[in-house]
Amino acid sequence: MMNHVINILLVEDDILDAMDLQRTLDRMRILYKMKIAKNGEEGLALLEQQDHPLFSGKPDIILLDMNMPRMNGIEFLQILRNSNEWRNIKVFVLTTSDESEDERIMRSLGISGYITKPLKMSNTGSIDAFNLMIDLMNM
Amino acid sequence: MKISFLILSGFFLILLLFSITTYINYQQSQKVDENSEKFSKSSTTLRSSNRFQRNILNLVSGLRGYLLTNEPFFIQSYDSAVIENEQILGELRLITNDNPAQKKLLDEIASLYDRWGHEFAQPLLEAKKQATISDSAAKSFDHFYRRKLKEGHENEIQQSIQNKFREFTNSEYAFREEQRQTLTASVQQTRNISFYLTILSIVIGIGIAGFLASHISAGIVKMVEMADSISAGNYNVHVDTRGMDEISRLTASLNNMARVLAEHIMLLNRKNEELNQFAHIVSHDIKTPLRGIDNVVSWIEEDHYADTPRRVKEYVGMIKGRVRRAESLLNGILSYSRIGREIQKKELVSVSELIDEIKGYLPHKKGITLMVQHPLPELYTERLPLFQVFSNLLNNAYHYHNKENGIVRVFHKEMSDHYKFFVEDNGPGIARSYHEKIFVIFQTLQEGDSSESTGVGLAIVKKILTDRKLNIEVMSEPGKGSTFSFTWPKN
Repeated sequence: MMNHVINILLVEDDILDAMDLQRTLDRMRILYKMKIAKNGEEGLALLEQQDHPLFSGKPDIILLDMNMPRMNGIEFLQILRNSNEWRNIKVFVLTTSDESEDERIMRSLGISGYITKPLKMSNTGSIDAFNLMIDLMNM
Repeated sequence: MKISFLILSGFFLILLLFSITTYINYQQSQKVDENSEKFSKSSTTLRSSNRFQRNILNLVSGLRGYLLTNEPFFIQSYDSAVIENEQILGELRLITNDNPAQKKLLDEIASLYDRWGHEFAQPLLEAKKQATISDSAAKSFDHFYRRKLKEGHENEIQQSIQNKFREFTNSEYAFREEQRQTLTASVQQTRNISFYLTILSIVIGIGIAGFLASHISAGIVKMVEMADSISAGNYNVHVDTRGMDEISRLTASLNNMARVLAEHIMLLNRKNEELNQFAHIVSHDIKTPLRGIDNVVSWIEEDHYADTPRRVKEYVGMIKGRVRRAESLLNGILSYSRIGREIQKKELVSVSELIDEIKGYLPHKKGITLMVQHPLPELYTERLPLFQVFSNLLNNAYHYHNKENGIVRVFHKEMSDHYKFFVEDNGPGIARSYHEKIFVIFQTLQEGDSSESTGVGLAIVKKILTDRKLNIEVMSEPGKGSTFSFTWPKN
């Protein structure tokens, strides 16, 4: 079985959350390369940057925090969905919010999963995300 | 126009109309008085004229009697009639003073009467007196008497006097009739005027009363509707006001009050909403660094377990415990601030099924038996808040239970428009002095480092119930268990 390396863009302002995610992915033995943006604006910049040392081109998955300075997750996702190039990238939302209204808005923007922090493998959003990653690795 | 002004002016108008009526009636009664005076005067006139005529007859018969018999008795009756007639003429003159036609007639009668006296009675009497003196005188009297009779002047005079009197009495009767007709007409007129003025007063009175009643009542009805609407929670009400009367001013004040109330309520709601959002945002923002601490502490445990001294492991455990407690407090704030923010739809809820579902979430504790009354009612209501109430009460009953054989009972009583539900346990019980404290958020009877008890559950229950104007009661004594009861509407 050929193990692909998954290209991930993480848009997250809290470095500890980012580290937690990385530790979880490591523990799950996911092979990945991860670019980390501290907010939505940096996220867009990283998407546009062609000559990045980690990987070039579109990421396989975007993991997106909601509450961030300068450009939050919703604004970032709206721009993404309105662009021709990036509209089909699978996006999982990472959030501390358990407000159904927030979830409704994000789902209306066509996300692939809604993952509540702290990360737990019992969460349906997390399960979907990891299943997708494993599928991608096994392609 | 002010209502008081309208009432007063209406009252004065009616008063004025009645005064006019009274004045007219008074005038009329004076006319009637005057007329009856005139009538009695007229009766006197007629009576006097009759007496005068009768006296003339007495005069004539007295004169003749004397002339024939020479008896002094006759001359006495003649004299008294003459005296009386002078008197009567005087009276009649006085009475008829204001009637020139009658006065003229009376003068003519008087002159005829004088003429009769001078030309006939006096000469005959003189002659008769002479006749007693001598025979020649008696003869000349006879001669004179016959001549007088022959002349027939006496008859003419008598006739004229009678005619004049007839004329006199006729004119008196005519005058009377005229008076009577005038009086009748004026009585009729007065009656009509009184009638119409009274009717007018009544109409004006009824009109004013009707206008006031309808106007005041309409105004009050509008204000009652407004007050009802305000008490139903709709503050954006306005009653149209026109005019400057007291009702309109009251309505304007009410409008103003409703507006001020609406502003304050809006402000209050906004503050409340801000407070809720504040609690929500702050909780979320604090959660992130807290989660960071938890992560780092977990990594220390995971990555450096072997090379960590025992004391450090203990300290790390303490950090984790406090982080967990902080998290559960934040979660408490979040769930408390979330109550009532999301509008719940009503649905058919079977309380029995609800309790069954809650049973699955209850902490596992040995020796506790849950006894649920069967059947519990089915309600058309909001499911989630009822679930939260039962779930918190049952959780507490389980959580704090300290006996080997615990019994928790759920039962209900049906009231007229609501149910009363009971959650009863035979656990440790709560001292009376804490019965109010337990419903205040973050007030727990457990110590602060006990991570399980945050003091939010009963606060949530209380908030859910008071938001719906429902009651919760607790009956409990230390060592005798606790019974929490709350009301829930049937619909």
